[in-house]
Amino acid sequence: MSCMVLVCLCLLIAGCWDRRELQDRNFVLAVAVDTADAGDKPGLEPEQGEKVKKTETFLQPHGTKRYRLSLQVLKFTPGGGEKEESKTYVISNTGESFFEMVRDMLGQSSKSLWFEHLQVIIISEAVLKQAGLNEILDFFKRDSEMRSRIKLYVTPGTARDLLEYNPPTKEAGGIYLADLIRLHTRNSHVAGSRTDLGYTVQYLDTRSNILLPRIEIADKVVKLGGSAVFKKDQFIGYVDEYAIAGLKFMYGTEQSAVIVIESPEKPGQIMTFELFRHDTRLIPHVEDGTIYFTLDINMYGNLDEIQGDIGGENTLDPQYLHKLEAAFAEEIKRNILYADNVFKKELRVDCVSKFAGKMKAYEPDTWELVKDQWDEIYPTIPLVISVNVSIQKIGSHK
Amino acid sequence: MANLEAKTYMSAWQLAIVVFVTCVGAQIMLSPRALIEQVGHGTELSVLLGGVLFYGAVCLMLVLAKKYPGETIVEYAPRLFGKVGGTIIIFWFNLLFFLQVTQIFNGIGKIITFYMFDRTPPEVVIAALLVVSTYCALQDWGTILRVQQFMFFVAYSILTIVWMTSILNFQPENLLPLWPVNIKAVIMGSFSTWGMYSGYECVLLLIPLVYRQASLSSLLKAMGGSFGCLTMIFLMVIVVIIGVLTVDEAENLLYPALIVIRSVELPGTFIERLENYLLIAWVPVVFDTLTAMMFFMGQVCMRHWRHADHRPWVLLSVPIIYVSCILLDNQHVYDMVNSVTMWIGMAFSFGVIPICLSLSWWQKRKAGKGCD
Repeated sequence: MSCMVLVCLCLLIAGCWDRRELQDRNFVLAVAVDTADAGDKPGLEPEQGEKVKKTETFLQPHGTKRYRLSLQVLKFTPGGGEKEESKTYVISNTGESFFEMVRDMLGQSSKSLWFEHLQVIIISEAVLKQAGLNEILDFFKRDSEMRSRIKLYVTPGTARDLLEYNPPTKEAGGIYLADLIRLHTRNSHVAGSRTDLGYTVQYLDTRSNILLPRIEIADKVVKLGGSAVFKKDQFIGYVDEYAIAGLKFMYGTEQSAVIVIESPEKPGQIMTFELFRHDTRLIPHVEDGTIYFTLDINMYGNLDEIQGDIGGENTLDPQYLHKLEAAFAEEIKRNILYADNVFKKELRVDCVSKFAGKMKAYEPDTWELVKDQWDEIYPTIPLVISVNVSIQKIGSHK
Repeated sequence: MANLEAKTYMSAWQLAIVVFVTCVGAQIMLSPRALIEQVGHGTELSVLLGGVLFYGAVCLMLVLAKKYPGETIVEYAPRLFGKVGGTIIIFWFNLLFFLQVTQIFNGIGKIITFYMFDRTPPEVVIAALLVVSTYCALQDWGTILRVQQFMFFVAYSILTIVWMTSILNFQPENLLPLWPVNIKAVIMGSFSTWGMYSGYECVLLLIPLVYRQASLSSLLKAMGGSFGCLTMIFLMVIVVIIGVLTVDEAENLLYPALIVIRSVELPGTFIERLENYLLIAWVPVVFDTLTAMMFFMGQVCMRHWRHADHRPWVLLSVPIIYVSCILLDNQHVYDMVNSVTMWIGMAFSFGVIPICLSLSWWQKRKAGKGCD
């Protein structure tokens, strides 16, 4: 009797339910979300395109075909093929429910689609104009296969085109696209800090405003720069690289940055400072019912480049360096004011609700009074900026 | 040859380890969401208050046990409340373990199938764990004690190390403001932490094994150490969850502790999806709790019906536990049972035990007067 029980248990609880061999899975590396009428397979005649569109989709009894979901799948074939051959291929579908589209795409895939290694989700601007970010990401935030560190990008063009892109490095497209943002700490033009799926869902849950990196493709050039701005989960526009740099200085999220100025003494001469370390404090204050913020920044770095007439400067002269430090500090201040102006006056949005978060954390009593009108109050709040720059090295040449 | 595993005594610190291991169990994964949702900012204060509150309950239990050396609640409850009343108290006491066991099995079944084996039915995971827990619960106390001591040093160190990796995503600002908090919610929340600290009731069964070895003060000290460690672990869990996710997000996640670990990316390493490592370390911890509780259930029945062996009772409880935890397969029912269990547990600790103490004092006073 006990032997029979043992045999039955071995058969029942051996965990075979979840057995899926590696070679029986199709690894999805990147996802693109477009509107249903965009993102057709490239290089087809309109008639052929229409035929493909009909073939790849399914009969949908409810709702309308709102989205096109494209998946970049890793090819599991041994090397030795054509030199230009891509390591991935793209399958696509149109519909309304993302999960339904994914399941229907099994009709285009010989193996089960596996999202555990998904690297990046790219959403087109057109989609964001017709739906909130929350509903687009809902499927991805619920599914247990998704990881929190999946990168999120917004593109003004067609998202599928980025999935069709074949990187010059010959690595898989999804991995290449995700890795573009890994060095955001050294590139002040890209806001990559806390912009992945996990943090974005956190911002959505806390009803914060969101910033996502902007990616663009033109011919065979892919570039990450600037950001898409969301008020709660609604897309409201883009900000340029200069505003992003200013924002990163303001929030202290940069670990390294390059600041370029025109020499205060020689017009036309360009000086470059490389930031290595900083101490940034954004502090809310409430005085007599008036809210204002102070921003104190101390930056330390090196003088890295001088362009133009480079004769005659003694970069070892402390007086000269002090003048440069003051000029760099002025430029950083200008950059921050530019970003502050873009977010406060043009977009009227508290980016990633940073100011609101500071108020909530450090001035909770005042926050309780103003939280319901914060969107109206925020653009009127003054920011008092103080920047100190210290040039610590000048390189190996004076 | 004597059965060396049939342990007849243990030290106060061994009891402290048993209480710690029995209490921690599954609730580090199952409880945080509901608690954070209830309290909001200040959940950590509820955990601290809960630690003090339930340490108080254990102290009462130890004082009660001191009055009946060498006996468990199963023996002295009928003397205090009469045959029927005593049986009700014993049933109540056992019901606490039973309800907790069913909820833990149900919770672990859901978590494991969602995060690790998505195609395996939860019933299968529950059956597997039930088999191993039953096997261990069928052993004598010496074996179970060894397993608990081993797990205390091994599984908990791994669990803590994996958990601490979430510090990488920790943002202290998410914990602010530390004050003001909703005092009423914090106090109500401290009652709700019963789910986390529960399991300490086992002292009412285990005291005879330690009593002759240790004084009341050393027992209180050992229990203080145990509750200190418990509070520290629960604080660490809650503080990290809020520090990583914020209160608002933690409320929206079914198992925030797993999402915290899931978000960790160890730069420069090939290690990914740390929630799997956490779950692997957590399963033995849960196994430990379940084993102990099933053993206690068997012991209570054995003592009540004056049998020599707890094993038939453990085996008898298996189908009841299995069916009950399968019936909990609905979040609403689960939450309801959870809430009922909490109030039953609270009433036992802060209602039944003080009444027991009063009755005991009254009966001894009466007996003393009778001698005059």
